Amino acid sequence: MTSDAQAPAAVNAAAFDSGGSRPSRPSRLNSDNSQLILGCVLVIVSAVVPDLLGNAYWTHSFQLVNLFIAVAVFQNLLMHDAGQTSFGQGAIFGVAAYMVAVAMGIHGLGYPLAALCGIGAAVLAGLLFAFPALRVQGYYLGFVTMSAATVFPEMMVAFNKYTNGVNGISLSFTGWHIRGALGISPLTMAVALVACLALATHVGIRRTAFGRRLRVAAESTEAAQSLGVSPGMMRSLAFIIVSLGTGVAGVLYPPIVGFVSPAAFSLDLSILFFFAVIVGGRGQVLGTVVGVWILYLLPNILLADLANYRMLAYGAVALLVMLAFPDGVIGAFERWRQRRRASHEPPDIRVEGLLGDRPVVKCVLSGTGEVAIDVRDASKTFGSVAALDGVALQVKRHHIHGLVGANGSGKTSLLNILSGFSRLSAGQVTIHGVDITRQPAQRIARLGVGRTFQTPRIFGSMSLWENVLIGLDAARAIGHGGVARSGPPAAAIAVMRAAMEECSVERVPHGQRRLVEVTRVALMGADILFLDEPAAGLSPTEREQFKTLLLRLRDELGKTIVLVEHDLDLVWGIADTITVLEAGKVVAHGSTREIAGNPSVRKLFIEPIHA
Amino acid sequence: MFDELAIIVVRGIGLGAIFSLVAMSMNIVYGATHILNFAQGNMFVLGGFFAVMAFGGGSSIPLWLALIPVAALVLAVAVTLQGWITLLPLRQSTEQNSWLITTMAASIMISAVLLLSLGPWASSARSPLAPITLFGVRTPAPYIAVTVLALFWYVALRLFLRRTLTGLAISALSQDLDAARAAGLKVRRLQLISFGISGLIVGSAGFVAAPLISIASDTGVRYVLNGFIAAVIGGMGSNLGALIGGPLVGIVAMLATYTVGGEFQSLVSLLLLVLMLLLRPEGIFGRSGARRV
Repeated sequence: MTSDAQAPAAVNAAAFDSGGSRPSRPSRLNSDNSQLILGCVLVIVSAVVPDLLGNAYWTHSFQLVNLFIAVAVFQNLLMHDAGQTSFGQGAIFGVAAYMVAVAMGIHGLGYPLAALCGIGAAVLAGLLFAFPALRVQGYYLGFVTMSAATVFPEMMVAFNKYTNGVNGISLSFTGWHIRGALGISPLTMAVALVACLALATHVGIRRTAFGRRLRVAAESTEAAQSLGVSPGMMRSLAFIIVSLGTGVAGVLYPPIVGFVSPAAFSLDLSILFFFAVIVGGRGQVLGTVVGVWILYLLPNILLADLANYRMLAYGAVALLVMLAFPDGVIGAFERWRQRRRASHEPPDIRVEGLLGDRPVVKCVLSGTGEVAIDVRDASKTFGSVAALDGVALQVKRHHIHGLVGANGSGKTSLLNILSGFSRLSAGQVTIHGVDITRQPAQRIARLGVGRTFQTPRIFGSMSLWENVLIGLDAARAIGHGGVARSGPPAAAIAVMRAAMEECSVERVPHGQRRLVEVTRVALMGADILFLDEPAAGLSPTEREQFKTLLLRLRDELGKTIVLVEHDLDLVWGIADTITVLEAGKVVAHGSTREIAGNPSVRKLFIEPIHA
Repeated sequence: MFDELAIIVVRGIGLGAIFSLVAMSMNIVYGATHILNFAQGNMFVLGGFFAVMAFGGGSSIPLWLALIPVAALVLAVAVTLQGWITLLPLRQSTEQNSWLITTMAASIMISAVLLLSLGPWASSARSPLAPITLFGVRTPAPYIAVTVLALFWYVALRLFLRRTLTGLAISALSQDLDAARAAGLKVRRLQLISFGISGLIVGSAGFVAAPLISIASDTGVRYVLNGFIAAVIGGMGSNLGALIGGPLVGIVAMLATYTVGGEFQSLVSLLLLVLMLLLRPEGIFGRSGARRV
């Protein structure tokens, strides 16, 4: 048993005593920084060397390559961090490039103004992409954006009055190509700068709370909502940021090539950006550089004269990489590196750390009688099946309230209603006096409601610490003083950070994953916690510790806890009140003592023995 | 006026039947694997390419009829092979979306091969059947033939999926993959069979529709997109939906060509797709799944 309580703990009591003043150091688990540095070095060297040598062909090639890298970086951000499948980034790039060409070549505007128009047009195009993304995800969105990518060049032909149709628009940018004092042209510098800035932006966004929220929304809509994050808002913002970046890259296309035509922005270009991310490794910062080099540069060198073979090479390379390295080239390398350094000692997650070493003092008066949650006459039907049938329930503040019942009795259905993941067919729910019957989940979360899930929402794309940190982010975003009032001391958070930062979630045993979620919700500063079978998979010792934890959360932090749990001993040991559900109806309700003698409850105790 | 309407409807249905066939071929794979084969459009064009190769000069009706199953079988082999490659990384990978890339890569490779063998020009096949007069309008026979083919495959799939053991097993996969596996079904084999059937559909469709389509390296995308739109409108996975959705898309596309011009056909299809996804993402015959938390 790897999660044995006696195992040497990553976070031990002594660490808590020291006040956790250990300085934070750069994480080795996360290689974003080194990838960023290496990526920028590759971009700058590949941009500068051909220019210094005065080789026009390679100067031009690497200007395009670096521009494509910038677009691929934003594709990476969109696909991996924001979880949006877009096969149409070439169209957004093309919109910006075309806008510049039309503004300069046909309307005679200056470049700065034309570039602004181009970036603006790209953002508008991005908003058009975001619109269906609010409704559909995954390959549906992929097909929509792919159609858009095929339609874009057709539109450039169809509106030939404004775009010069298939003939395209020629522009002159001679000044941009003249090599300056250092032997480098301004265009080369601009493109390299945009590519490096794109890479830095990606890494920068990942570090922020916004970047973490993006990833949570990408991986689990429910988890995002339960942290008060609106997934639709995250998707829209992601598309806006990505289109802005893609637009900045797009307006540099006309200066490099000096010509735009519909054929340059066909679906193939969008596919190049998508494949570049896949081949390099999705989510890998350096992956985009490697991906564009492999897909664009390699065929260029090997098959310089046979442009027709390029698409065959794209397809073959993407297919082979997918079969050989499903995580991409850099992704496979990262995986190997992590496996090599991974120790076999699992992390020890101790939520108690958050409570500090304060003596157990009842700082909250229990039994004020104030009602935290009030459910009236709640019914929920799925077709002809009634999951909840006229449920009435009151949960008092600072109480631990147990919801028990057999499988299918409606416990989780009720929890989903309370946290806003499904809507009542009839009835009303108020939390802290606010009617939440028709409120979306993220609004309910912002009232100070946190929840955990039957299958823990733990995200593999984040470190263990980040998985917990998103709770703290939520507390800051919600901003009702949750942390300041009832949150854990900063010192305890620092200790936790030191212990968890280096840890990959893959090493966390299953039972402990629930504790990660509980920790997250505790950090969120929510007053009301909904825990869905939190003790499942815990060892007997861990169960005892967990009991103490719940009691301390109630007594020291004044939390109200609604607990759905099959372990009746656990519920009986700590709950102040218990509601028993059966076939969607409340069959018993009251304090543990009142309810113990109830025949319908005795049945619950006996049944498992027969089963 | 009536003539124009008749042309729009008859040819719209014919064009739509192509989309129905592509949609049905995608449905059967989708049901068994939850994979949407991006390469299906180019496989369809390959079916047409087979027709061009088979008779450049001219042909008789019996030969034409005899070659339909041959084209279907050739493409069945091709799609099964592609399916086998697509399923390879899914065996034990954590990356369950690899099919997005592998099927698209296959599609791009087919289109590159077409480009290398045909050049950038589109070619077209000639039909051995004489034009038919329908509602007073002379209609090229392939429009009718492809409509008949769509009906044939609808009935054949219905019988196969409901009356044969293999068909029932494939239906079981589309209901619950894990339960089917637990029940001892040979999931991989059934999935490969479904890829093979989709190849039969798309191969025969490409062969019969060859005189109607331009056979070129860049047309495949159009058919896979419109096939997908037909499938979404009808409801993903529903063959009846595909049968209805296809002609709907076809007629709208023909209408668009007549009123605003052929260059806006794809734009109109895209708008139709977005509208459908916004209003009723589950399609006409689809059911919305309950959300699991």
